[in-house]
Amino acid sequence: MKLINLNKTTQTNFDFDNPGDYFVYFYNLSGKYNFNIKASGINLDISGVFIGNEKNNFTLQTFQNHIAPKSKSNLLIKGVFYDQAKFNYQGMIRIEKQAQQSHAYQKNQNILISDDCVVSSKPDLEILADDVFCTHGSTTGQLDKDQLLFLQMRGLSKKQAQLCLVDGFVSEIVDKIRMYDKGYKSSLRSRA
Amino acid sequence: MKLLKNNQFKPGQGLSENFVTQLSKTKKEQDWMRKQRQKAYDIFLKKSLPKWGPSLENLNFDRITYYIKATDKPVGSWNDLPKDIKDTYDKIGVPEAEKNFLAGVSAQYESEVVYESIKKELDKKGVIFCDMDTALKKHPDLVKKYFGKLVPAADNKFAALNTAVWSGGSFVYIPKGVKLKLPLQAYFRINAERFGQFERTLIIAEEDSEVHYIEGCTAPIYTTASLHAAVVEVFVHKNARVRYTTVQNWSKNIFNLVTKRAQVEENALMEWIDCNLGSAVTMKYPSVYLTGKKARGEMLSIAFASNSQHIDSGAKMIHFAPQTSSRIISKSISKDGGRTSYRGLVQIMPKAKKSATYVSCDALLIDEKSRSDTYPTMNIKTSDTKVQHEATVEKIGEEKIFYLSSRGIDKNSAEGLMVNGFIEPIIKEIPLEYSIELNRLINLEMSGSVG
Repeated sequence: MKLINLNKTTQTNFDFDNPGDYFVYFYNLSGKYNFNIKASGINLDISGVFIGNEKNNFTLQTFQNHIAPKSKSNLLIKGVFYDQAKFNYQGMIRIEKQAQQSHAYQKNQNILISDDCVVSSKPDLEILADDVFCTHGSTTGQLDKDQLLFLQMRGLSKKQAQLCLVDGFVSEIVDKIRMYDKGYKSSLRSRA
Repeated sequence: MKLLKNNQFKPGQGLSENFVTQLSKTKKEQDWMRKQRQKAYDIFLKKSLPKWGPSLENLNFDRITYYIKATDKPVGSWNDLPKDIKDTYDKIGVPEAEKNFLAGVSAQYESEVVYESIKKELDKKGVIFCDMDTALKKHPDLVKKYFGKLVPAADNKFAALNTAVWSGGSFVYIPKGVKLKLPLQAYFRINAERFGQFERTLIIAEEDSEVHYIEGCTAPIYTTASLHAAVVEVFVHKNARVRYTTVQNWSKNIFNLVTKRAQVEENALMEWIDCNLGSAVTMKYPSVYLTGKKARGEMLSIAFASNSQHIDSGAKMIHFAPQTSSRIISKSISKDGGRTSYRGLVQIMPKAKKSATYVSCDALLIDEKSRSDTYPTMNIKTSDTKVQHEATVEKIGEEKIFYLSSRGIDKNSAEGLMVNGFIEPIIKEIPLEYSIELNRLINLEMSGSVG
C-alpha cells in the first residue's frame, strides 16, 4: 500500500504507472487534482474529509482518468459545514475507449449544520468504453433529527449530540486514514 | 395558417430583420407581437451559441427556411421518401393514411371526424385547445399575459430565434376546476397543418385543473428542414396538475434544440415525460420552477442514441419555495457509435426549507463504439433539505443474455428484451398506444427487425 497525503505535497498531477494499491487522503483542501491511471491492476482509493467553519471556502476538482484497462478507482469525500462555510466540488470520471473493464466509483456526501452554508456538487461521468462499471452518488442534507433527539434524551446537550453524530459520519474515512498512517495527527474530531 | 394560402409571401432561405417584420405582417399580428419578434431578432444576433454540449458546427443559419406554408410539402410523393423511413413505417405498423401524413406527402389526415367530436366536448367545458396563431387572434389578452413570461427571448439563442420567427404550436387553456380525463394530443390538432419547425406552445392550467398533453409520435417524422427550435411554456396554478408527454423521433438529419419550462404554484404538480429517439443532435433540458409551497416537479426521460446521434438531455429543478419536492429519473441507451449525455441542474434556494430532491441516471452502453456522459449539478443554499443523486453506467449483463440464449431466444431479441426492461419504469407511464409503438421501435433499433 502506497500512501499519498495530499496536504503534505505540492504535487497535483499523479501518474500511476505500476500495478498495486494506492491510498490518497486529504483534509480541508482546495485545488485541482488529476489521477491518471496508466497501468492495469491499480487499486486506487481516494478519501477526503472536510470540516468547514466560519467563512471557509473550499473549491476542489478531482479527475479520475482511466487510460489503462482493468484498474479500479474509488473516491469518497465527506463534508460537514458550519456557519457560512462554502464548498464547491467538481468531480470527473473519464473512461477512455481502451480502458475496458475499469471500475470507477465516486461519492460525495455533505452535511449542512447551518442554514447559511452553500454547497455545490458536480459529479461528472464520461464513459467511452462499454465493458465498465461506474457509479457516482451525491447526497446533501442535515443530521438525522430522530438521532439528535435520541441522544439529547440520553442526557447529551444539543452540541454534544451534534458532535457525536458528526464524529460517526466522518469516522468511516478518519479511521481508515489512521489505520494506514499510524502517525497521522489531525484535529478532525475535535470541534466542540 | 390557412389564411395564408393565397398570399404572396414566399421567403427563401436565411433570416433578416425585414423577414421577421414581413412574417408578422403576413400573419396580421398586433403591434406588441411584431415588436416582440423584432426585439427577439436583435437578441438572437447578439447571443452566441452555447459553449458547452454537442457540436453545432454543422448548423448554418443562412441555409434554413424559416417559414414553411401549410401547403408546402417536403416531398412530392411516397416514392421520393428515403428508404429507411419507409421501412420503419412498415415495420412498426403505421396505417397507410397516417404514413402519408407523417411523411409529409399528404397535408390532410383523416382524424378530422374524431377531432370534431372531441372539440365539442372541450368547448362545453370552456377548454381552449388550438394552434398559437389562432389563439393570438381569438384570445389576445390571454396570450399577451403569459407569452414569453417564463422563457424570455433573452434566455438563450434558440429561444430568441423561436420568439422572432415562431409559427404554429399549441395553445391550451384549462379553466378553474376542469379535470380532463382524455389526453390532449397535438396529433389531433395538427391535421390541417404541418409539424412546425419553430413551434411555440403555451399551456395554462388554472386552479384545481388537470390536463395531460401529448406531443410527437413514435413514427419517424420526415422533414427536409434541418433545425427544430421549439419553446414550450407551462403555467401550473395552485392545486393544478399538468403532465406533458413527448415522444420525439425526428429523422436523423435534424438539430432538435428545444427550451421547455414550467412554473408550478402552491400544491401543484408538473410532470414531464420525455422520450427522445430521433434527430442528429438534441439539446433539451425541460425545467420546473417550484415557486409555491408544496409544489412538486417530476421528470421521466428516455434517450436512445445510435449511429453518431448525440442526445444531450436532462432536466432542471429549481426550488424557490418551502416544502417543495422534485424527482428526476433518466434512462439512456447508446448504441452503434451513439452518444447520450445527461445534463441536469438541481438548485435549492435559501427559502426552500424542508425541500427534497432525488435524481437517478442510468445509462446502458450496448457496444464499445458508443459513449455515455453524466453532468449533474447540485447547488444547495439551505441546510434543511434532502438532496440525493445517483448514476450508474453499465453494459448489458452477459449472464442475462446467456440465460435468455439458453432458453432459445436469439441474441438480438434478448438484447431488445433487456433494453425494453431497462426503460420499462418510464414506458408504463405513457399511454398504451404510444408504449406499444415505442417498444416495437426499440426492438427495431436493436435488431433491424420487428418479430
